[in-house]
Amino acid sequence: MTSSSFAKAGILMLILVTTSVFSWELYVRSKGFDNSYDDGGPLWTHQRHKVCKDQNNSTVFIGSSRIKFDLDTKTWESLTHNHPIQLACVGSSPLSILRNLAADKNFKGNLIIDVTEVLFFNTAPNVFERTETALKYYKDETPAQKASFVLDHLLESQLVFLDKDRLSLNAQLQSLRIPNRPGVFEFPMFPPDFGRSKFNRQEYMTDNFLKDTLQQNQVKGIWAFFAKMSKEPPISGVKLDSLLNSVKVSVDKIKARGGQVIFVRTPSSGPFLMGETMGYPKEKYWNRLLLTTKCDGIHFSDYPEIAHFECPEFSHLSQQQAIVFTQNFVRILGEKGWKFSGTNQ
Amino acid sequence: MVFNSYTFIAFFIVILVLHNLPLSWKTKKINLLIASYIFYAAWNPPFILLLWLSTVVDFFVGRALYTQQNKHKRRVLLIVSLIGNLGMLSFFKYGGFLLENFTHLINLLGANFHPAKPNIILPAGISFYTFTTLCYTIDMYKRRSEPVKSMLDFSLFVTFFPHLVAGPIVRPPQLVPQFETPHSATRKQLLQGLFLLSLGLFMKVVLADSMLSVVANDVFNSKQALNTLDAWMGVLAFSGQIFFDFAGYSTCAIGVAGCLGFVLPENFVYPYAAVGFSDFWRRWHITLSSWLRDYLYIPLGGNKHGRFKTYINLMITMLLGGLWHGANWTFVVWGALHGFYLWVEKIIRDLRKPKTAPEGTKNDAYVAGPVKDKTFPNFILAMITFFFINVTWVFFRAPDFVSARRMLISMFSSVKDGAVIVTTLSIYKVSVIVILMVAFHWMMRNTRVLTVAEKLPWWLLGILWSIILLLLIWSQESSSSFIYFQF
Repeated sequence: MTSSSFAKAGILMLILVTTSVFSWELYVRSKGFDNSYDDGGPLWTHQRHKVCKDQNNSTVFIGSSRIKFDLDTKTWESLTHNHPIQLACVGSSPLSILRNLAADKNFKGNLIIDVTEVLFFNTAPNVFERTETALKYYKDETPAQKASFVLDHLLESQLVFLDKDRLSLNAQLQSLRIPNRPGVFEFPMFPPDFGRSKFNRQEYMTDNFLKDTLQQNQVKGIWAFFAKMSKEPPISGVKLDSLLNSVKVSVDKIKARGGQVIFVRTPSSGPFLMGETMGYPKEKYWNRLLLTTKCDGIHFSDYPEIAHFECPEFSHLSQQQAIVFTQNFVRILGEKGWKFSGTNQ
Repeated sequence: MVFNSYTFIAFFIVILVLHNLPLSWKTKKINLLIASYIFYAAWNPPFILLLWLSTVVDFFVGRALYTQQNKHKRRVLLIVSLIGNLGMLSFFKYGGFLLENFTHLINLLGANFHPAKPNIILPAGISFYTFTTLCYTIDMYKRRSEPVKSMLDFSLFVTFFPHLVAGPIVRPPQLVPQFETPHSATRKQLLQGLFLLSLGLFMKVVLADSMLSVVANDVFNSKQALNTLDAWMGVLAFSGQIFFDFAGYSTCAIGVAGCLGFVLPENFVYPYAAVGFSDFWRRWHITLSSWLRDYLYIPLGGNKHGRFKTYINLMITMLLGGLWHGANWTFVVWGALHGFYLWVEKIIRDLRKPKTAPEGTKNDAYVAGPVKDKTFPNFILAMITFFFINVTWVFFRAPDFVSARRMLISMFSSVKDGAVIVTTLSIYKVSVIVILMVAFHWMMRNTRVLTVAEKLPWWLLGILWSIILLLLIWSQESSSSFIYFQF
């Protein structure tokens, strides 16, 4: 092959690749997809880097998926003029991140800890996997990874098809749902329209999901699957005491440096709430948490203005509900004497 | 910086532009050297100091070794270089391993010694650049080639970013002369380089990371005995993953160097089509196996001192080759298994060889003559070789002997209630990729990818190239490290 033949092949390749990528992008946009960021270690680390920067005008959120769906960051920012830093991780206990913040001597700011009992009062290794991975990435991040993050963000913000969870080759193969042999553990697949991740790590349900009861029922089925899967009873006794004490140690360190800490229990509804109330009675878990840590707390069931939500899939709020929740949440925080700025002046 | 990242693409575009500007050759070389340091510093900037130390020491020691006439002084200089290079490698790579084994030994003797675990970070690619600099000083000691005249050329030889962190392991005569005269890529070289870069990235990102790594990780990280099918799927997946990961890196490295007008030695030639184990080592990580042959096996005596010594030399070479891959006894066993396979192969070859044939003339125990015929019996032999290679991968991938034993039991016996963990989709993925990989290796075993690409009609090459790039874009795998970086 001559040099010109290779060049012709290269030009054909460029035409085919550009046309295909452009067509694929148009197609996924026409199907209602919009930008969703890869909520992995790099994005978490990007938020973590902000923690100690402007502590007088920012609040750190840790917890599980609920606070990511339920806190509307735009509403929070407009009402408080305070920047939210979202460090919560889906399906995770926040305790390793709490320990990390407590160990960071530079952190003396505002911390709001979301409590989803089934994950918070849990010591199983799987509820720490995501947070440990994120923390490891944060600690080991190389200059090359920092640079890659900037370029990744630039592309992800422009191209909708860059959505690893839904539109990558593997995600598309998974969606074929090929039946497995008996005995293979199948991790349930969330419907494609359930969650999208913003660059600030806020999650939200799409309009398609809110219109589609089939997809909502699919997610409800996944919660039921998880409930069936967990065979261990909720922790109690010495294990619970030890967990509460470890939370207290971390919280005390942050408070001793002048930081503010508060716990929040965001809404859930239907059978999910029923199961949570039965498994984790408020007096035995929530009240003890506040008592042990000597921290204030906001439990949705104590405030009628945020106690009425019917979550579309029993566990998280829609974006519209999140706005209402956040407005009330900010007001309740104010009533409790929470300082949104200037804590450390 | 890894090849499979947007940062590298941006970095490489800048380098390509700079390299093609009308600047003096010396300026271009300085650009390449600075770029190589940036490439390396993108992991962990302080480790550049090690690279500098290794470069400066070996440049001056190498020159002195060549010019010095006094035998004793030459020996001292060689020892200085060996201690410098191997000492650094031993500390960073084997420090923890040595301490752990020393602790075990002392405690076995009755002492109660429990030192704190050292927290040593392994500098990326230390095993590769140590071997690169080591061969230079040994060559100077043996006066095999002339010393490199310029510090700039020597620094670039050691640090040239395409080969720096995961090879191919280059020898001075392969690369230094290319730095002595102006080099820039012709249009054909540039396009071929870009094609190889695309192909290497496809192998790494699509095949190794996206398709095979999850199955291999799930199976090898499983704490329970597995169903036989699951165990084999895991081993086959790793077999593909390690090839696509490492050969993918080498293909990228050769392609990147080609885009700049330089030629790096080939490192993989369809190893899963190898007929026998000496053939395998002529096709797998070629630059390491030839390094071990020239700087370890032959200096040990090769096959010049009788049959028994040949076997011992072979085994020592393979054991150390195994240890080079990682500070763990499992790698030593991996090397031992390969040494054993080479023994068996040599015994069979010796038995079949006419008794009158002269022996020990070509160091052929380590590397036998090539097997070129693509006959059916040879295909069967290649599949038998592939089977035994897969067994060795168990020790290479398993984190410890308990896991390796569990895997072997799962692979070769019917485990009652063995866990079933591999999904049907994964079974399809592994089966299709491994079958195609082996078939492709067999078809291509006597040729090269660029030779085949050149014979294709331009439109077909264009379509194939597009498919490679589209799958690469579609896979959306994040920039994970190459497996061989840890070595």
